[in-house]
Amino acid sequence: MKIAVFWGCRVLTEQYAYELSLRETFPQLGIELFDLREAHCCGDVLKSLNKFTAFYLASRILALTKQIELTDLLTPCNRCHLTLTEAKYMLERHRQTREKIEELLNDEGLEYSSNINIWHPVNFLHDHVKLEKIKTVVKRPLTGLRFATHSGCQLIRPSELGRPDNSETPQKLDVLVKALGAQVLDYKEKLDCCGFALTYSHPEAAFSLVGAKLKALQELDVDGLVTSCPDCHLMFDAKQKNAASTIGVKLELPVTYYTQLLGLAMKIPAEKLGLQLNQTPIQKILMKLNERYQAGFH
Amino acid sequence: MSLIDQMSMATPDLKLRRRVLDRITEATPVDCFKCGKCTSGCTALKLLELKPHEIVNLVKLGFIEELASSDIIWTCVTCLKCTERCPQKATPYHVITALRNLAVEKEAKVPDKYMKALSNILETGLIQNVQKIALTETEIYDRKSLGLPEIPKIGLKLSENLFKALEEGQK
Repeated sequence: MKIAVFWGCRVLTEQYAYELSLRETFPQLGIELFDLREAHCCGDVLKSLNKFTAFYLASRILALTKQIELTDLLTPCNRCHLTLTEAKYMLERHRQTREKIEELLNDEGLEYSSNINIWHPVNFLHDHVKLEKIKTVVKRPLTGLRFATHSGCQLIRPSELGRPDNSETPQKLDVLVKALGAQVLDYKEKLDCCGFALTYSHPEAAFSLVGAKLKALQELDVDGLVTSCPDCHLMFDAKQKNAASTIGVKLELPVTYYTQLLGLAMKIPAEKLGLQLNQTPIQKILMKLNERYQAGFH
Repeated sequence: MSLIDQMSMATPDLKLRRRVLDRITEATPVDCFKCGKCTSGCTALKLLELKPHEIVNLVKLGFIEELASSDIIWTCVTCLKCTERCPQKATPYHVITALRNLAVEKEAKVPDKYMKALSNILETGLIQNVQKIALTETEIYDRKSLGLPEIPKIGLKLSENLFKALEEGQK
C-alpha cells in the first residue's frame, strides 16, 4: 500500500529516532511511504496565535497529499494528527473559512481535498495493517518484557472529531505491544498528560507533571514506557532528567517509540532504529533481549 | 488576588464578548451551566490553578480584556479533557484558544516561545531549526550522519500567503 507521510516539525528537526524506526519498519509490512513535496508546520502551535493561519497550513498538507495523487496520509505526531483532523472538520462545516482557505491554496496552484484519510501509526497499524500481519514480521518475540503505554491526550480526544482510539480507555497501543510478544501493564496514571504544551509557557510545571507520571511508572514493575507521539516522547525521554531534578526523584525509566520496539521484534539492528538517540537507559531493555536471544547487538 | 477578585474592578465589554463568541464556531460557551466537570478534571488545576469553568463564565460576563491580558489563559496544557467531558459543548479549550488569539491581536503579553515559533514558521516553515543531538562531547548526531534525507524547503509563495492568512485571521 502507498501512503503519503507528513512527519511534522518535531520529528524532522529533533525526534530522529521516530523517523528512522518508521522508515525501517513500515516497508517491511508492505507499506510504501511517500514524502510530501514540502515540509512545514501543521499549524498546531498557531492555533493559540491565529487559528485561521493554523487551519490554512493544515489544509495545505491535505492539498500537498492530493498533489501526489494519494488519499491516505500518515502522520506520526498526535498534535499534527489532531490539527489536520480539526482543519478537515472545520472546512467541511464552515463554508466561509473553506472558501478563504481555498483561495489561498489555489493562488499557489494547490487544490484542497476533503477526501484524504488521516492516519496515525497507532490506528493505521491496528485497524489497517492489522495484528495478524504484524505477527508475521515478528522474528524475535519480546517475551518476558513488560511495558506500560502512553497514548497521549491529542490522539484520543475530542472523540467528536473521530480520534484513533477511545478517549477514556485507549487500548490500541497496548494491543500492538502485545502483538510483539511483550506483556502490557495497565496503570492508574495512564491518561495523565505528558505536559508538553506547557513547556511553551510554564516549563517547570510541565516537568513536574511529566515527573509525577514517570515516578508512578517507575514504582511499577515495568521494563519501559512505550510512546507513539514525538512530543510526549520528548517529555518522557529527553526531558526525564529535567523532570527528575524538578521533582527531586531519581528517574531511570527506559522510554521507546512503538516503532523502535516493533523494529527490535523484527530483528532490525538497534542503531538503524535510532535507539542510540534515546536518552533514557534503553540498554536495560536491550540487555534483557540479549540475555534471551544471545543476539550480537548493543 | 484571585481571578474573580480582579474582575470586581473591571467593566464588562460586550463588543469584545461578541467578537470572541463569534469566533468560537466549534462550541457553545453560553450554554455552560457551571457543573464544574471541566475544572474537576483539569490537568492544570492543581499545578497552576486553572479553573476552566471560571474562564468560560467570565467570558459570558464580558470580562474579555482582563482575561486576554492574564497569564491564566497560558496555563492550559491542551489535554482536551474538558472538551471531551463537557455536557454542554461549552468546551473551555476553544474559549481559551479564542482568548489566546485575541491576546496576540491586542498585543498583550504572549509567552516568548510561541512568538519564536511563529517567526520560525514565517522564515522556514518549521517551528524550530534542525537540531543536533549531542549525547556526549563526541557523540553528536544530525540528519545527515543518521542517513536521513534532507528536509524539502518551502516555496516563496507560502511565506507570502502566510502573511495574508495572518491578516485574515485577525479580521
